Amino acid sequence: MHRRGFLRFLLSVFSLTALGSFLYPISRFIAPPLASKFTSKLSIEKDLIPVGGAKEIVLGNTPAIIINVPDKGYVAVSRVCTHLGCLVQYDKKSKRLICPCHAGVFDLEGKVLSGPPPKPLETIPLKVEGGNLLIG
Amino acid sequence: MLQKIKEGIEIRFGLNSLVESKLKGYKIPKGTNIFYTLGIVAMFAYMVQAVTGYFLLMYYVPHTEHAFNSTQIIMNTVPYGWLVRMVHIVASSLMLIVLVLHLISIFIMGSYKKPREITWLAGGLLILVTLAFCLSGYLLPWSQRSYWATTIATNIPTALPVVGDLLANILKGGDSVTGITLNRFFALHVAFLPPIFLIIVGLHVFMVWRIGLSVPPYSNLKGFKANFNFMEEKSWTEYREADYKESYPFFPNFVLKEAFMITVFLAVTFFLISFMPTLFIPEAANTPADPFITPADIKPEWYFLAPYQLLKIIPNKFFGISIQIIFIGIFLFWPFIDSKGDRNILKRPLLLGLFIVMLLIWFVLTVWGRYS
Repeated sequence: MHRRGFLRFLLSVFSLTALGSFLYPISRFIAPPLASKFTSKLSIEKDLIPVGGAKEIVLGNTPAIIINVPDKGYVAVSRVCTHLGCLVQYDKKSKRLICPCHAGVFDLEGKVLSGPPPKPLETIPLKVEGGNLLIG
Repeated sequence: MLQKIKEGIEIRFGLNSLVESKLKGYKIPKGTNIFYTLGIVAMFAYMVQAVTGYFLLMYYVPHTEHAFNSTQIIMNTVPYGWLVRMVHIVASSLMLIVLVLHLISIFIMGSYKKPREITWLAGGLLILVTLAFCLSGYLLPWSQRSYWATTIATNIPTALPVVGDLLANILKGGDSVTGITLNRFFALHVAFLPPIFLIIVGLHVFMVWRIGLSVPPYSNLKGFKANFNFMEEKSWTEYREADYKESYPFFPNFVLKEAFMITVFLAVTFFLISFMPTLFIPEAANTPADPFITPADIKPEWYFLAPYQLLKIIPNKFFGISIQIIFIGIFLFWPFIDSKGDRNILKRPLLLGLFIVMLLIWFVLTVWGRYS
């Protein structure tokens, strides 16, 4: 190999090393660490939510809702619409969860009934322990 | 004394010869109308945005606890702060209107055809960068409207398979719109986007300067009432300077037209600020962001209403977003797709019809999105 060719080879090696060593930390710097959802737990008195009633909560950073569904009991789902992230609202009259942004409609267990949401609302583990609801 | 100063400047800078060669010597083809000045009006609007933006930076605080209040202080406490912010808001919308008109006129004149494909591509990228400016600036007041419009916009990439969630998380800096998102968007708005914009605008202006303005394609049509007569541009087969059969100097003739249009832009801006101040600031823009309540009537700005409505009516999110990405791709590379055919759109009824239909669809979706 000629000296000039060798220099070109070294130039490529060091350029790629510098570029890679720069881009990797930058990509890590930009991408946020993926936090696992619903790691925190919450306990509330179950009597606070009558049959057909609901209570909005915040679990970790996720807005959620607990609904006392008639004949089915307590259900906790994320309020974050699976379409584009707006917060669904509980409509007691129609017994539906409705997204105000793109008119997505979910049933009280979070299943999609109509509109553009591609999947159901995320369900949150819920246990009844005595007189309390343990969410998360 | 004044004469001596003038001479001194002339010896050192040679401004007269610069004006003679670069401004008076630069030729504009005859037949160019006021639509040819829209590019410079858009440039002027960008400058207005930059200058007002610098002043807003003096008082704005990019923090979730202070952003809304600092915006209110600018509007209500800082002397003439309302004026600076209103110019920033109104001029941004008008800038987009000017860009859309510029785009329409370029399309109708067929000015994107060879050798101006790169000029079109750079212009298209500038529109996308402008929309990124609008989107990133929109969150900064940290109002209900800005918060939820940004939530919707930053969730759009989740429709993409595999990388969608990661892209959305990178944009937001987490799972939802938070203070990290505000800082990211602030950095984008004032630090990352301006140099990107300047590089592309530099390319765009260089190409316009290098190739020259296109001759209007319709001037030799039979029955067209034009008081001028000239030939089409020579076909471009090799590198050469712009060459017109009939032309006039850029300065002062064309500059006067540009100055006129800039004053029209300023007049409309200040008219809207004085007489229709709430046109671009609805109620939700005056309410501080609440991450736990999505307002019932949340709507994006008018320029995002069409894609917003499209996402609403197409049941499949991936399909809805794919359509828009494909459309943007076709739009950017249109000169390479439509490389053949006459420059005169009036001689191409199919293309004219398609263009009108596209405009109508955009208009209907915008109005529908506004009132749905």
